[in-house]
Formats: sequence, structure tokens, C-alpha cells
Amino acid sequence: MNEHELERYEAELRGAAPAPLPEHFMARLQAAKPATEPARRTPIQPAVGKPRWPGWLRWLAPVMALAVALAGWLVFQGNFTGGSSVKKQPLAAATGFKADNVQLDEELVSSFDVVALLPGGQPVRFRCRQWRDQLVVTDKNHGVEIQQSSPRVEVVPVRFETY
Amino acid sequence: MKSGSKHEWPADSEWALWLARHAPALLLFARQQAGCEADAQDLVQEAVVESWRRQNDGGPPPLGWVYATIRHRAIDRARRDERRLEREAAAHLDNPPCWFDSGVDERERSLLIQKAMSHLPEIYRDVVTLKVWGELTFAEIAEALDIPANTAASRYRYGLMELRKLTKEVFA
Repeated sequence: MNEHELERYEAELRGAAPAPLPEHFMARLQAAKPATEPARRTPIQPAVGKPRWPGWLRWLAPVMALAVALAGWLVFQGNFTGGSSVKKQPLAAATGFKADNVQLDEELVSSFDVVALLPGGQPVRFRCRQWRDQLVVTDKNHGVEIQQSSPRVEVVPVRFETY
Repeated sequence: MKSGSKHEWPADSEWALWLARHAPALLLFARQQAGCEADAQDLVQEAVVESWRRQNDGGPPPLGWVYATIRHRAIDRARRDERRLEREAAAHLDNPPCWFDSGVDERERSLLIQKAMSHLPEIYRDVVTLKVWGELTFAEIAEALDIPANTAASRYRYGLMELRKLTKEVFA
């Protein structure tokens, strides 16, 4: 079969168009339209007017939290050992720390699929996502900002596919 | 089309036009992959919806993706439920749906092509279907079937030659 015959035969085959969809199936497909645009994650917005801490200062966050907790504990101990009948106050009130802004956010660091084989040889696929959860607590009156950042890994088994 | 997150996506007209243009060929391919008509329709629906959702730039997904998804979902189903598929495939052969659009005059010709396609080895049949009726390029076929483009081209040529032998009654 030369090129010319090949093209002619291909054209003849194309003359047989695929059968139209059954009406009920076309109606089903029409109704199956994805409802809305896929959700997108918004990037983390830095606090307006507040300089971001340099990376090497991040260690201050846990130290600050520890210091606040220690101060609270000391106040509590002082009240307890002094035998005072003063009504106990919440930790935040005792230290004077009052959060006026709390931000919770998550940032997608990476997303990838991993394929593995079960002992029976059947392939399985896992969708792995690395997230960074961020907590920012701010007390403007005292000029205190506490940031906490912690990594989180999410592994979800999904059906086997090639992409 | 996708500038606002509250906008309808895709638009009804875009969705309907895309389905009208491509769904018949997708169903033709799915019928060759599935054991029965119901499975073929399920495969098309799952693949179409999933491919559109994955396409994040707001436009229609590449056709190669959709065909690839149909194929892989069909493999998943075959692995998952082999016995049921065997029973349904037998029933499917007794009363197969017509793969091609045909008027009264062309019915015999269409059935002959369908029969010939059924007897064509799968590796040829997939490539011929995607090229002739799916209108994919060899690069797209290669992506959809996980084979090199050169292999797709050579399979296509061999497939057409085999198909021509099987349909020589109607094609001179």
C-alpha cells in the first residue's frame, strides 16, 4: 500500500463517522459539567506596615512563647504561695498579653505523586502534598508578634493513572 | 472565562460545543475499551469531567488527556472486576451497539468496518481509532497510549493495511 492508497483509504474510513451519542447519555454529559472553576489557594499576605522577620530571627518565636508561658507560671506560683485569696486570672490577663489579630494560613510547598507496587504486583498511587501551616498572633499594644510555622505532610491514596 | 472565581466554568455553550464535537469519537474509543455499553458511557463521563477539572487554565483539556484517561480507567475496571466484565463482554457481543453513524444505504458498510475493527489487534485498533476518528496527531497518540511517536506511526500503517484486508469487500 503506497502513500496515496493509504490516504485514500483513510479518507474512506473517515466517511464512516462515529455514531451520535444516545440522547439520554448526551443529557447526562451535559448535566455533568464541572460546576465552578477549580479553587485556587491564595498566597499568604504579609501584614501591612509590619516588616517580616529575617529567617535567622525565627527562633525568637518559640522562645517568646516560652517566655510568656514562664511568666504566667511565675505569676501563678506567686499568687499560690502567697496564700492570697485574689481570684485567679487567665494567663493572658495575668501577663498583659492580649492578641488583637490572629492569622491562620497554609501554604502549599510541593505536590507530587508516588507510585508503588503492592506485594501482589498491583500498582497503587499516592498523592503527596507538603504544606506549611502558619500561625501569627499579634498584640499591637505591646508591640509583640508571635509567628509559628510548622510543616505538614498529606498523603492520599488515589486511583492508578499515568498522570 | 476564568477571571473570577464565581464565574461559571466552563460556560454552557463551550461545554455543549465541545461535547458535540468530541464526545462521539470518545464514546467510539470507550466502546472498544469497555466490556459493555454502560461501562463505555461511564468511562467517557468520568474521563471528560476529570480532564476538564484538571485543566487549570480555563480552556478545554487536550484530547490526548481525555483518551488516555479513558484507557487507564478501562484498565482499572478490568483489573478490578474481571469476571463481571467477561460476562458483560459476552452479552455485548450478542447485541453490540452500532459504532458508526449510518443511514439505510451505508448500514452494511458501517457494520463491516465495525466488525473489522473488532477483529483488529488492540495495539493497531487503538492507534487507528485515535488517528482516523479522534483526529489526534501521532505525538498526541503517543502520549495517550504511552508509546513512542514512531511506534504509533508504524502501528497506524500496519493497522490500516490489516483493516483494508478485512474490509476489501467494500473498499476497492
